[in-house]
Amino acid sequence: MSYGSIVKVPFGPQHPALKEPEHFLFEIDGEIIVNVKPRIGYNHRGIEKAFERRTYIQNIYLAERICGICSDAHTTCYTQAIEDLLGLDAPPRARYIRVIVAELERIHSHSLWLGIAVHEIGFDTFFMYLWRDREAVMDILELISGNRVHYAMNTIGGVRRDITPEIIPKIIRSLDFLEKRTKYYMKALRSERTVLKRTVDVGVLKPKDAVELCAVGPTLRASGVKNDVRGDDPYAAYDEIPFNIVTDDGCDVFSRMLVRCGEILESINMIRYALDHMPSGMLRVRMPMAVKPGEAVSRVEAPRGELIHYVKSNGSTRPERYKVRSPTLANIPALCRMFIGQHVADIPIILAGIDPCFACMDRLVFIDVKTNKRKSLDFESFSEMVRKQRNFRLA
Amino acid sequence: MRREDRIVTKLREKLKEKIITINVPRERRIFIHIKPDALRESIKFLRDIGFRHISTITGVDTGDSIELIYHLALDGSIELSLKLKVQKDDHKVPTITDIIPGVVLYEREVHEMFGVNFEGHPDLSPLILPEGWPRNIYPLRKKYTLEHLRNSIFKEEDEK
Repeated sequence: MSYGSIVKVPFGPQHPALKEPEHFLFEIDGEIIVNVKPRIGYNHRGIEKAFERRTYIQNIYLAERICGICSDAHTTCYTQAIEDLLGLDAPPRARYIRVIVAELERIHSHSLWLGIAVHEIGFDTFFMYLWRDREAVMDILELISGNRVHYAMNTIGGVRRDITPEIIPKIIRSLDFLEKRTKYYMKALRSERTVLKRTVDVGVLKPKDAVELCAVGPTLRASGVKNDVRGDDPYAAYDEIPFNIVTDDGCDVFSRMLVRCGEILESINMIRYALDHMPSGMLRVRMPMAVKPGEAVSRVEAPRGELIHYVKSNGSTRPERYKVRSPTLANIPALCRMFIGQHVADIPIILAGIDPCFACMDRLVFIDVKTNKRKSLDFESFSEMVRKQRNFRLA
Repeated sequence: MRREDRIVTKLREKLKEKIITINVPRERRIFIHIKPDALRESIKFLRDIGFRHISTITGVDTGDSIELIYHLALDGSIELSLKLKVQKDDHKVPTITDIIPGVVLYEREVHEMFGVNFEGHPDLSPLILPEGWPRNIYPLRKKYTLEHLRNSIFKEEDEK
């Protein structure tokens, strides 16, 4: 049904609680979204330009700070690119440690996301349980690296810290706990009516669209496309560690939840295998100060999907050009497609569905095009309005 | 014969003299440098042989020209970097949004950062840079150093 008038709803950009602000301009007809225009860059810090001014060593720390959730994915990608230029190979033990830290990061990122997703549909009890259990993986990361967020594990030519035999039993214990909890959450997700009502058939992305719009990561895999950089273009020790690429054919937000839960379970098994089969030996090899002219493309499967770095060197101690493309940007065109034909009430969960590095839905202004009347709402009252309208009983 | 070599042979057969250089530095990586007028033809051909995913477009300021690198992936596996050089100003670069729709934001990003105009792109409005950013200042060009940007743009803002 059409109401004959299109109302424009700006969404964002600022939200102090979440990381990356972003703006979307929704055009809605009644309750239905007919068009959406993204405007990004509110968190643009000019990092690519900054890369050109710093030495290769300094840039490791800059790469770490591109993202606060997938910091390890960025340094892995960066160090691999430079190792490729130098013709260095990280020692086998370092490659295993990279996998372990990357998979721990994936577990932490996916549980963080799952928490946010259920929070967006108003299921805050679930959110709190998830984030409590997420502390288990944060503790392991702290145990290994001394840090909860920026692990600073990678360096050019290897890793900086070892995983010692003393801490391995502790890691295994936490993994057992996480496995038990994740299985329980998967069961809860599948049987909880609130979750099913809010996520099944919401934000559908057909496989054809997913491929055409170049979606990446769990967003792509939840549309049934079996693509994963870890399997397709293996790096670190991923070619030696067995794992399954998790996919789902539902193409909706619910599938995205199941894929990420499935990936947590896969990651747990991968870490167990890696701890069991970790080769002994050196942690790193030395690198020269200057890098000979050349170029390299490095790819990593970050928790959100394919991450790609490109580096061009000019023979000095600083790169000539450094390019970073994070998975969220790759998923924006697909995200815009998911919105079309959906209800305004489902904007937060669809937006959260791609696991964006932002969820900046703080301030909303509704403008009625006919009367030009403005009405501002903060995120809480908007959520409240949405919940009343859709008449959902909250858990 | 490796998969990479088979792709290289196919490309050589198809594009012939339009290829300037082509090399395979390591497994699953291909770098190919083509003449600028062969862009759409190459992308179409690559898409038809399976390179349906575009990872991104990198712009590089090489002094007198801008180098555009299209990073395409075959089934998520082989990453091919298609390179072409265009004049800094007065260039004609066709859009490839009709061939691979997923490229839409990458072209806008390169447009903003390097001042490359993609002909036929549906919407080249600002995407990343702040509102009120001066026209014709493309921050990733080498000419614009941090000092230059600080002095020309932020000083004006401070004075306001």
